[in-house]
Amino acid sequence: MGIVVRDLVKRYGDKTIIDRISFEIGEGELVSLLGPSGCGKTTTLRCIAGLETPEEGFIAIDGTVVFDSSAGIMIEPYHRDIGMVFQSYAIWPHLTVFENVAFPLRIRRDRDVDKRVMRALEMVGLAAFRDRSSQQLSGGQQQRVAVARAIVHAPAVLLFDEPLSNLDAKLRDQTRAEIRKLQRELNVSTVYVTHDQAEALSLSDRILVMRDGAIRQQGTPVQVYGTPVDTFVADVVGPANFLPLTDAAQLRSVGPVPSGPCVAMIRPDRIVIGSGGDNQLSGTVRQRLYLGGHYEYLVAVGPALLRVLSSVTVAEGETMTLSFAAADCIILAQEETPTWA
Amino acid sequence: MTGMKGRGAVQAIFALTFAITAALILTPLASLLYGSFRSAGPGQPSVFTLRNWMDLGSAAIGNTLVTTCFISAVTALASTAGGAAMAWLIYRTNFRFKRSMVASVGLSFFFPGFILAMAWVILGSPGGIFNDILEEWFGIAWLKFDIYSVGGIVWIQILHIIPFAFFTLRGPLIAMDSSLEEAAYASGATPWQVVCRVTVPLMLFPMLSALLLCFVLSVEQFAIPAMVGIPGHVNTLATELYLLTSFSPPNTGLAAAVGLSMSAVTGLTIFAQRRVMHRRGAPTVSGKGYRVRPLNLGKWRGVANAVSLFYVAMAFIIPTLALIYTSAIKFFVANPFEAAYTWRNYLQIWNSPGMMRAFWNTIFVAGGGAFLGLILGTLIAYSTHRLKPRGHRTLDILASLPFGIPGIVIGLGFLWSYVYLPIYGTLWVLVFCYMARFLPYATETIGAQIVQLDKVLEEAAWASGANRIQSFRRVILPLLRPALQSGYFLLFIAYFREIAAAALIYTASTQVLSISIWAFFENANWGVASALSIVTTIMTVALMAVVARASLRL
Repeated sequence: MGIVVRDLVKRYGDKTIIDRISFEIGEGELVSLLGPSGCGKTTTLRCIAGLETPEEGFIAIDGTVVFDSSAGIMIEPYHRDIGMVFQSYAIWPHLTVFENVAFPLRIRRDRDVDKRVMRALEMVGLAAFRDRSSQQLSGGQQQRVAVARAIVHAPAVLLFDEPLSNLDAKLRDQTRAEIRKLQRELNVSTVYVTHDQAEALSLSDRILVMRDGAIRQQGTPVQVYGTPVDTFVADVVGPANFLPLTDAAQLRSVGPVPSGPCVAMIRPDRIVIGSGGDNQLSGTVRQRLYLGGHYEYLVAVGPALLRVLSSVTVAEGETMTLSFAAADCIILAQEETPTWA
Repeated sequence: MTGMKGRGAVQAIFALTFAITAALILTPLASLLYGSFRSAGPGQPSVFTLRNWMDLGSAAIGNTLVTTCFISAVTALASTAGGAAMAWLIYRTNFRFKRSMVASVGLSFFFPGFILAMAWVILGSPGGIFNDILEEWFGIAWLKFDIYSVGGIVWIQILHIIPFAFFTLRGPLIAMDSSLEEAAYASGATPWQVVCRVTVPLMLFPMLSALLLCFVLSVEQFAIPAMVGIPGHVNTLATELYLLTSFSPPNTGLAAAVGLSMSAVTGLTIFAQRRVMHRRGAPTVSGKGYRVRPLNLGKWRGVANAVSLFYVAMAFIIPTLALIYTSAIKFFVANPFEAAYTWRNYLQIWNSPGMMRAFWNTIFVAGGGAFLGLILGTLIAYSTHRLKPRGHRTLDILASLPFGIPGIVIGLGFLWSYVYLPIYGTLWVLVFCYMARFLPYATETIGAQIVQLDKVLEEAAWASGANRIQSFRRVILPLLRPALQSGYFLLFIAYFREIAAAALIYTASTQVLSISIWAFFENANWGVASALSIVTTIMTVALMAVVARASLRL
């Protein structure tokens, strides 16, 4: 069993950061904690690492209880079988690349330090850098050293705290793929904290969407993206259009329909310009942005503005017909105004 | 519960740190308070009395207080102005000798006050070199001066404290956003207008802070007023306290009351300075590395050069030459052409068994004591900046208390307490006294570096399996190495040259080099005192070079 978290509560003063959350992470599974800043995702990760002491709850790593408020157990981070990659990498400036990676092994007085460090460095493609001073590394290289250091002692779980947020866009995509490959090879239970929906969708076996210290939805990337439970989740996991409805029967949709005021959620890439889908709307083009290969349109439909991605060319100010399938139309309870428009 | 093991060790270390700090700082203070209410000195039968506190109101003490405040106010104003002018000259103008000037001011900074005072007695006493040469060679008797006076004390103190003001002010000046001054130039302001309307107003808080610190340094100054004030019958609170304690009939109770009052003055000033610093520093650079265009001094360049050279000559070069001269002659003669030159003063240092003991005592106190002081300072800084367990605020306040307590007062505190302790008569009295007195030096130096270290570096070590002790040793200590080195150096120098705290508590067997020099000088043995000063100065400079080189290599 990878990680078990039950009824976790963390407060700073009278502010509740984590509000009694529970989840499990299976053997070899990669689970993302996704949410905006301040939602408690990093604090959750730090509780698992032992860098924060929760007020209440239970945490077990690989079958070992590392925190249990009712039994008074709090295992220090250094006695937990973890490997962690920090957002700022935390590469020790006084040690070489090799010694940074060797650190967990030296602390544990393990054998074969040389062989194991080199294997870890090879996995991240930095074998040639072993004797470099860590201060001579680029951001991307530092990030790889941090990963090598986290995996070198074959920990039971890997913890990533927004590891890619300090890299530029191109390097981020590449590293994302490498992290996924590495995690599969090692088959190690992994918790991955991020605020980037693309990262979470592409990397994860499962995503936990968090808000205000609580888990709003958990499921596979396809589940949370395709069938979000509320407008918050829909907005966090990807670009979303919210069309306020007076009556849920206005549009053809699949899935349950909530009672009370509701909105239709349609992803911009699922809307087609022209007639033919299960649902048809007519609107006026307010703005057109050329993105290379396709346009992004802002279309006024009644009082609402819809974002539409299409390679069809329509001039600003013209009227157009939009259509989309019932399967792409999710009816959600209206909670708040959409954030993007 | 495996987790509690690491935590328990950390708690034990914190408790020990707290206990040692409290003992070091509170013992002398509590003893002083006790002593100020006793009718006789430490170790003697005595009764409770209010007499000492009532005697504070006597005319003699009142006069001393006025003199001290006058001397300190003038010294602080002149040193701050001098230090600020020097910083402005070096960092804002096209003054030509910037590097050599910074180096010279640095040298004067490490030139001990008591050696400077000694040199100026040799130069400026009624039969001194300056006065003699002025009269005999140039016949200008009206320029003669008497160093044994209020003016003499102020003069030497200004020379001594200007480097401190300079080093305190140059940081804020360098960090100040130069575009603020450039905007004034662009608005049509002349250089003088820019200084008056932009630079000085923006530097007001740093300058006020420097002024208060210089005032405290001057109030607590002991060696300078002792060497030139006592012969001239000019007393400051520090020397008054010394005289009350050291000359019969001793009145250690009154001295304790004087010491506590003095600490109240300096402590309140330091408190005010802290408030000033919290209020606002100078507006700092927004990240762009533009250097302000150096102001063209033009025809004033010559004046700037002359004034700078004058300062370096007065604060360092001429005093050193005077000491070298005095160390190499048989009997003191002001005119170098009439002197009989000799090596015997240096030989006397070498051959005297007392000197060898003083040398080894100094190595023990300054070399070893500074090491202990550094360890304690590091533990305190780490506790107050990182661990922050319950009680860390109290520890922080305790550790910064010595900032506001004059050295001679701490010495008196130890005098009042050590009689009752097993360390009586050993070198440990000096070690503990210096550790207490200079504790803020260590905590400030190390603390500044710890704040700079990202907390994640330590967390990463924990996540890698290193416990608190291991991560401290393998990650924090190596990263602190530069601060530890400079901290050790700072403490070593401070312990090495301290007189104020030691003056009341040394014994024949615990004499250290600084006290030896002072004692030789007080016994009118200027030759040996000068020779010893030269030797110790060379030793200090050599040590500085070694440490500087060692830190460069890292």
